[in-house]
Amino acid sequence: MAEVRLEGVSKRFGSVEAVDDLHLDARDGEFIVLLGPTGAGKTTTLRLVAGLEKPDAGRVHIGGRDVTHTTPAPRDVSFVFQQYSLYPHLSVYDNLAFPLRAPARRLPEREIETRVREIAGLLHIEDKLGNRATQLSGGQMQRVAIGRALVRKPTVYLMDEPLSSLDAKLRAEMRVELKRIQRELGATILYVTHDQTEAMTMASRIGVLDRGRLVQVGSPRDIYEDPVNTYVATRLGSPTINLVPRSLFAEVAAPAATVTIGVRTEHVRIRRNPNGAGRVKRIEHLGDQNHLHVTVMDTDVVVLTDPEERLAVGDVVGLELGKPLFFGADGGRLRH
Amino acid sequence: MNDVAKASFIERAATATPAPVARVVKGLSDRAIAWLFISPTIILLLAINIFPLVWTIQLSFTNYRANRPNAEVKNIGIDHFQSILTDPDVWAAMQATAHFVFWTILIQTILGFALAYLVDRRFRGHGFWTTVILIPMMLSPAVVGNFWAFLYQPQIGLFNYVISFFTGLDPSSFEMIGSVKLAPWAIVLVDTWMWTPYVMLICLAGLRSIPEYIYEAAEVDRASKWRQFWTITLPMALPFIMLAVLFRGIENFKMFDLVNLLTNGGPGSTTEVASITLKREAFEKWRTGYSSAFAIILFVTVFGLANIYVKALNKVKSR
Repeated sequence: MAEVRLEGVSKRFGSVEAVDDLHLDARDGEFIVLLGPTGAGKTTTLRLVAGLEKPDAGRVHIGGRDVTHTTPAPRDVSFVFQQYSLYPHLSVYDNLAFPLRAPARRLPEREIETRVREIAGLLHIEDKLGNRATQLSGGQMQRVAIGRALVRKPTVYLMDEPLSSLDAKLRAEMRVELKRIQRELGATILYVTHDQTEAMTMASRIGVLDRGRLVQVGSPRDIYEDPVNTYVATRLGSPTINLVPRSLFAEVAAPAATVTIGVRTEHVRIRRNPNGAGRVKRIEHLGDQNHLHVTVMDTDVVVLTDPEERLAVGDVVGLELGKPLFFGADGGRLRH
Repeated sequence: MNDVAKASFIERAATATPAPVARVVKGLSDRAIAWLFISPTIILLLAINIFPLVWTIQLSFTNYRANRPNAEVKNIGIDHFQSILTDPDVWAAMQATAHFVFWTILIQTILGFALAYLVDRRFRGHGFWTTVILIPMMLSPAVVGNFWAFLYQPQIGLFNYVISFFTGLDPSSFEMIGSVKLAPWAIVLVDTWMWTPYVMLICLAGLRSIPEYIYEAAEVDRASKWRQFWTITLPMALPFIMLAVLFRGIENFKMFDLVNLLTNGGPGSTTEVASITLKREAFEKWRTGYSSAFAIILFVTVFGLANIYVKALNKVKSR
């Protein structure tokens, strides 16, 4: 395994700046998740590391070696593509064995078989080894694709939304599995997703991308609790953080330039209070928790409450903010 | 389209239909209308495909001659089939056909695929070159035949001149069409010149159908270009290549126009492919019954071979 370093990497496609002056330092054995919506440049970043794209500017280092101008092969990375990029005319076994049979490796067929069977067991596809790749379901295909990456011991694993085509149950299982594998192998993984649960549960550190720029890098906890701007704040948390005008909570002590107050749904405390400013508009029952939509001066505030809380639609309530975050006019975070 | 517009469209169509037609159509069931629409095609099919086929089968059992329409027609059973299958001249013609089919397919497939592979590299101006390569295919075989007959002309033909320019041979020392040895290859060359672009086009479709990300995955998996070609490109383009072989095989089994114009089976009968024999029997010797039997044998042969081949093709496709 090796560390990956991106130094001021930029890549444009026509007039679109896909990746803009990106700096990232993935340490050996780290699980880095790149998070962002579609078009934020996550996949391009991964492809730049793999060597499938050449950067317009900046340098790419893998394991201390400058690989900016090399082809994918000598970088010795493994890549899980978002589409199941299986070799359709080969069996599952041969698909998994394909990277091991690269002439640069020269592994004996016995060892290849051991590795393939081991990985197949890990991904629950042992009984599919004889099948043609095209005879599998979407979820199975993606597991084969993940398996094809895991079967080798590359410098770094690059994964582009590998779990997006799996059903919810399998996805949860694979999340745990991937994290376990990563720990056992001490693997460096660069992982792209727009799923915040994946980011929160697996990442050593999360990098949040916005239109080709890396806005913030930090542990999941840092990103969640200490976002640098409103964009990062809205990336994590479900339901999304409440961003309300400062005027709504005039009593809260805030820096002078504050325009927006952000408060996570679980940090709003709510109490029935006839003189309160809010009125319960809607209640979503999720079983283990309730989402209350409270209207405060025409603005909706979502509040996470205990299901035991006996509040009904139309109740007048008072709100109290815990751990408020303050943002300026440009969306940037303001600190006391 | 909203309901109002639809209604008015139907209304307009209805009012535009002449009253007598409307009255007739109104009385017909959907099934009858369906038949009404496909009947012209069916009648044409019956008249120019099915009826001649049936008639040919019937004639093949008789001694009928088209140039003596008033002579007595006798039923002679399978005599024609027997004499055809035991006739060494017929087997010579079949051999000439097999030689022609084999070499044209082999050369055209290799060249066509190679060209497709090169054009698929998407170099600058690849669109222009694709069009240029396709030109021979767009010409009429009659034009191509006459044109190459001139090129092959030993005294004034450009072909002999070019060969002599590059090899130093005397241009009038060899005849492409007149020589027993070269004539079969002269035809193979023309057919290849004309139809390789067609094979290229089909192979190109095959190559374009292979998604880019498979190559990217292979690239990351450290497969060399050579290995990518053998494990991805060729297997995935194979159904298309086989399809091209099928089309060219059937076409060339029936090859008539180019051979007729270039050599007319000569010299002697060295390039007398099956269809030329058929023409001679039918329209030079006027043995209508005999040639009908021969036509049926050819038809069954090509039909049988094509069927076996299509089975193999489907097997490859379903992999």
